[in-house]
Amino acid sequence: MRIVDPVGTSAASAMTLADRPHSLEGVTIALLDNSKPNAGVLLERAGALLAARGGARAVKAWSKPGSSVGAAPAVLEEIAAAARVALTASAD
Amino acid sequence: MACVVLGTDEFLPLARAQITARGLPDLPVITVPHPIGGIPAAIAAAKAEPIVESVLRALTSRPPAGDAAVTSRGAGTSVGDVDAPEDLDQFQIWLMERGWGDGLPAIPPTRERVAAMLAGTRRKREEEVAILVPRLGRATVEAVAANAVMAGALREHLAVILAAVEAVADPSFNLQAVQTTTHPCSPLCIVNGPIARRLGMNAGGNVFGQGSRANAAIGRALRLTLQNVGGARPGKEDRATHGHPGKYTYCVAENEVASPWKPLSVERGFSAGDSTVTVCGSEGPHNINDHGSTTAEGIVMTVAGTAAIAGSNNIYLGGEPLVVLGPEHAATVASSGWSKDDFKRALWDRACVPLGHLAPENIERFAAIHPEGFKDRPAGAMAPMTRDWRDIMVIVAGGAGKHSVFVPTFGATRSVTRRIAD
Repeated sequence: MRIVDPVGTSAASAMTLADRPHSLEGVTIALLDNSKPNAGVLLERAGALLAARGGARAVKAWSKPGSSVGAAPAVLEEIAAAARVALTASAD
Repeated sequence: MACVVLGTDEFLPLARAQITARGLPDLPVITVPHPIGGIPAAIAAAKAEPIVESVLRALTSRPPAGDAAVTSRGAGTSVGDVDAPEDLDQFQIWLMERGWGDGLPAIPPTRERVAAMLAGTRRKREEEVAILVPRLGRATVEAVAANAVMAGALREHLAVILAAVEAVADPSFNLQAVQTTTHPCSPLCIVNGPIARRLGMNAGGNVFGQGSRANAAIGRALRLTLQNVGGARPGKEDRATHGHPGKYTYCVAENEVASPWKPLSVERGFSAGDSTVTVCGSEGPHNINDHGSTTAEGIVMTVAGTAAIAGSNNIYLGGEPLVVLGPEHAATVASSGWSKDDFKRALWDRACVPLGHLAPENIERFAAIHPEGFKDRPAGAMAPMTRDWRDIMVIVAGGAGKHSVFVPTFGATRSVTRRIAD
């Protein structure tokens, strides 16, 4: 039998990933903490290790205002202006 | 800017669904063993070492193509057909294999059945009622109708279901979090006004229980819509640690006839002749037994004792927990001359958790989220059940008996009321 697809269509539109740098030499790494317990700890450690191994210039951290809300668009713009690469977190 | 997502292995399905819905299925997600929260910081930090090489690679090289085509189902508002088994038993198996069922048998949403369901509304079938996250699914009238058929709803239920779908998509409801959180919450629908009586909805005895087709089917239709169109599949994008039985269906009518006060809809500015549905991101109901009290003071003391709980989201995230007073408790409160607001104020004054009942790590965490409530508070300070007494919701529902129920919420969610179209 034929049924009406209960999932329907989606409003998602495909986007293109940003180009990646060839190395982290001299770049600034952004960390965006999802505000879950210890997410900042993990990101900070990962950022420090990356900076040491990849030769990054700096590591800067930002946070979402709470784990159940998205980062403000202004914060995302600030991150995009300040850094070449970013690490963010999902989960708890 | 090149980005990499760090997650835990348990949450990988949610992260994948999220990046796919946002149009970036190739975005690298690198996982560490779950969990990172609720463990000593040094152990969480140590989880960075084994992944650093793969993070470095992912930040500096083109990722392989992702595993999902974002627009595979098309981006339009016309819902397609799917081939399904004729046999009803086989259909149930087929439905569950696709992740489109809730475990209970469902009615096949054939074109004929969906067309009959659509006769329950004047809205066009292609009309977009809402975009539902995390999938960014288009909840067109037709897509909602298909899920309503599956849930066993009748055409006259459709207007309530559509209003509920619209309500959960209001930004203040925070559907993204309600759909994907580990917390056990699900939209509770509270129906007010003449439509509840017209549909024969249960507002009386066993109001949260089984036995009313309208209550059962409306709540289930909303759930199936959220799971299928919204893309919150249990154990995948829906990360609930336990969930609760209301995730099958969670819909009541307010017992307006038995209430000594204005119904919820009128409190919110609608007229008594309006039919409305209010959605709350709610936990399951917890009983409040009080067979002894004969005054409002007595009832509020018992309710406060049940509402002041250390493990509540509401004490640190805010939000609007609900008290459902049984008609007999409501009558006792009103007989002391109390208005509904008097009851809310008195409850808020009394329903407090002493900070000494909270672990120091939790106080530190809560203080980061709600500094006024938890930062540098003196020993012996109290945390109220909500940020403000006006955040306590009170309705009257249920039948004979000396019981009421308390329904906490996810916290970072506001209830939303929508008028139901005639």
